[in-house]
Amino acid sequence: MVMFLMVLCMSVFGLAITALAFGAATRGLPVEPEAPLAATVDERLAAVPEHFFVRDAAPQAAPVPRLVPNIPAEVFLAQIERHIRLEHAAAESFLMAPSPESLHGRTVSPLVH
Amino acid sequence: MSIEQADMLHGLSAADATRLTSLGSLVHVPSGAQLFALGSEAHGVCLIERGRMALTLPMRVGARQEDVLVEERTAGQMVGWSGLIPPHRFTLNASAQIDTDVLVLPRAPLLEFLDANPAIGYVVMRNLASVVGQRLQVFQAMWLREMQRFVESRSS
Repeated sequence: MVMFLMVLCMSVFGLAITALAFGAATRGLPVEPEAPLAATVDERLAAVPEHFFVRDAAPQAAPVPRLVPNIPAEVFLAQIERHIRLEHAAAESFLMAPSPESLHGRTVSPLVH
Repeated sequence: MSIEQADMLHGLSAADATRLTSLGSLVHVPSGAQLFALGSEAHGVCLIERGRMALTLPMRVGARQEDVLVEERTAGQMVGWSGLIPPHRFTLNASAQIDTDVLVLPRAPLLEFLDANPAIGYVVMRNLASVVGQRLQVFQAMWLREMQRFVESRSS
């Protein structure tokens, strides 16, 4: 009986020490809101490669960013020409009355907006 | 406008302007035709007597190379001042936007005339400096505007 009580006391004492240590270790950590389950699952699905044997597939080149918008070249050239005319006019008006405001005045060029 | 009122001849008497322009020859450039090409040798300067010239630079647009308008010059304005500035190579293309007449002043006789008439040479070189300086200032401002937009796009 004494032996049983002694083991019980030791167990309760050990449990209390463990709880205190856990509390001290986790105190002050930022609590992050739990991400929705669906989003987490989607991220995992996105991370799964399209082909299972990824290492067997030849490496694919990264897509080149398209700098020229998908419009006819003539239209794009006309936009460039208009942009240069507007910038030229803005630069000339800056030279007429030089100031930081006139130098960096806004333009209506579609290439900027 | 008369050729004597050209930016290169500003400040000269009518008689001196006539003496100077008599060194050149009038060339007709039909609409769309090229007066000079980027990189070609510049043998002289040109004064536009009538019409309009487009100064262009080649630019890659997608898979194509296109001439993009940089500046327009009209009657009374000078084009091709690379003819007076070493290494005497054109740094732009020039083509007529409409039927245009230009007075072409060949470099060697022009410089001989200016050497022999330093007072006229001083006025012409002052006018040339003004034209070159104006081009520099305009493009400096245009470049700074682009840089400002670049900085704004990077910091946003």
